[in-house]
Amino acid sequence: MLRWKYSRPLLGLLILITAIGPAIHLGFLAEPGMQQTLAVAFLYGALALTYDLLFGFTGLLSFGHAVFFASGMYLTAIFVNSAHMSLFPAAAIAIFITSLLATAVGAASLRTTGITFAMVTLAFGEAGHIIISRNFGNFTNGENGLALNADRVPSFFLGVANTRYLFWLALSVLAITYFAIWWVTQSSAGKVFQALRDNEVRASVLGLNPFVYKLLAFMIAGTLASIVGCAMLVISGSASPRFASAETTIALLLMVILGGAVTRWGAVIGGILYSLASTRLQDFSKIATQHHIPKVLSGPLSEPAFTLGLIFILIVMFAPGGLSGAYYRLRQSYFAKKSRKAETE
Amino acid sequence: MDTFVLISITGVGLGALYFLVASGLSLIYGLMGVLNFAHGTFLVVGAFVGLWMSTQVFHTNSTFAFIVSMIVGGIGAGIFALIMEQLLITRLYNRHIDQALVTVGVALVVGAVLGGWFTNDLRLLPTPPWFINTVTIGKAFIPVDRFLYILTALALLGIFVGILKFTRIGLIIRAGVENRTMVTALGINVKRAFSAVFFLGGFAAGVGGVLIAAYQGGVTPLMAGSWLIYGFIVVVIGGMGSIGGSAVAALLIGITKQFVNYYIPGLGDFVVVILLVAVLLVRPQGLFGKVSA
Repeated sequence: MLRWKYSRPLLGLLILITAIGPAIHLGFLAEPGMQQTLAVAFLYGALALTYDLLFGFTGLLSFGHAVFFASGMYLTAIFVNSAHMSLFPAAAIAIFITSLLATAVGAASLRTTGITFAMVTLAFGEAGHIIISRNFGNFTNGENGLALNADRVPSFFLGVANTRYLFWLALSVLAITYFAIWWVTQSSAGKVFQALRDNEVRASVLGLNPFVYKLLAFMIAGTLASIVGCAMLVISGSASPRFASAETTIALLLMVILGGAVTRWGAVIGGILYSLASTRLQDFSKIATQHHIPKVLSGPLSEPAFTLGLIFILIVMFAPGGLSGAYYRLRQSYFAKKSRKAETE
Repeated sequence: MDTFVLISITGVGLGALYFLVASGLSLIYGLMGVLNFAHGTFLVVGAFVGLWMSTQVFHTNSTFAFIVSMIVGGIGAGIFALIMEQLLITRLYNRHIDQALVTVGVALVVGAVLGGWFTNDLRLLPTPPWFINTVTIGKAFIPVDRFLYILTALALLGIFVGILKFTRIGLIIRAGVENRTMVTALGINVKRAFSAVFFLGGFAAGVGGVLIAAYQGGVTPLMAGSWLIYGFIVVVIGGMGSIGGSAVAALLIGITKQFVNYYIPGLGDFVVVILLVAVLLVRPQGLFGKVSA
């Protein structure tokens, strides 16, 4: 029998073990390869969470969110490489500029609503992707991506032996994002975001300006995404145009749906699982060829998009609310059963 | 002047391809409110069916074989669209966001299946030999295949308009785009119109897929990428649910893109995006869209 009241302390313990794992050489957490994979997964968890603020909490279906993530990466890399700044000031300026960019893009696209808003953000996202991949102004190095000049990165972020610092960097960015979003969504502004999602007309009749609040949500999500972008730049060592593409935003959408929107931890779990799955599912092809599975099956199975897309369709069709939704349903049915039992006794 | 003619006609040719992708997208959105991310998949499925027809069935690159392959590709994509609609979309009745999400899933899965079966390498599509000819208009040399694109798009535009204006199902579709609830309330079965729209949209995208394969030189599971985004842009600029609007917007975008790319190489995509933003900020419902009630 599951003991639901212990689930939170257990989760806390799990997080604590994960956090100190690399320091005490605990199992697979001590392997640099695993630390790197997990660091990337944590950052995708954080990024999915920023998308949850837009899509889940405020009800804004944006297809341009990845651009702010990429903007944080690219601006930091450009300031470090070309302006010869050190990493942290460069990141701070990059984040500030991205917040201005998000405000401008948000102000233009939030003049529209619903599906039109989705299309406008898609267009802005594509514009950003084009600027980066076509290398306008010779800043971005085009399709090849832009490597971060390692000389200006603090030495404890470099080298295989120091991968655990990258791990902790990613984990702390995830924690900062989580608490920032928790604070925003619990604040009175956050309540307005949710009210706008549920019934915009009613909220505006109460005297709240929908545009201002939606812009605030858009700006906060974009700024947090750029912070995650800076961390991703340090961890992956280079920026690449694919981070700005609409596919990346669609991946974020998948992560949020997979984990379940509006629960915060759902998006984080979704992001982490998606990232791990898309790196690990490639091993399927090896297993498939070993077991002589016909090519009709093994071909698609070797592509992570197949499995992820299938899971995604099944969740949308049969389990709306994703993983966290399923958890809450189980929990609720357990408590309902318990109270019924108490009544009969 | 010669350059002007050349760029204009190739621009119209490009616009014709955009129209083939966008017309179905526009009808599907206008009638059902479904933002169809799988429309690019229709295009790829059409191209693969056309490729199969022309390499496995015909073994020749005659004009007749190409035209038949194109039509069969369209029918294949239409059937695929119909299956997707029956299997997934109808079960999520009125859950618009979920419908859009399911189409994202379909695009991922089908893309992966095709990539797994056929790899992502470019496969050559046999085209009639006269495709590489040029004709001289004034002093400009125009590639002949562009005229085929334009004619096909015009034919499909004619078929669409004919169906919408003169048939009963077309009447239901037009009424449904305007106010679906009212049509349902009058006791008319809109679901059949949904299926018709998906089939027609899939057909146009499939025909477009075969032509795009001819235009780009081959078929690959990844070929839909930017065409789908351009399809969206055309639909939004033209106005959701308006076939005429899609045609005008497709022309506008095709010509703009060709001209900008000629004078400032590489900037065409960017200018199209700016055009989209400008149109939306001035007229959020698109050039020919009606303000939804």
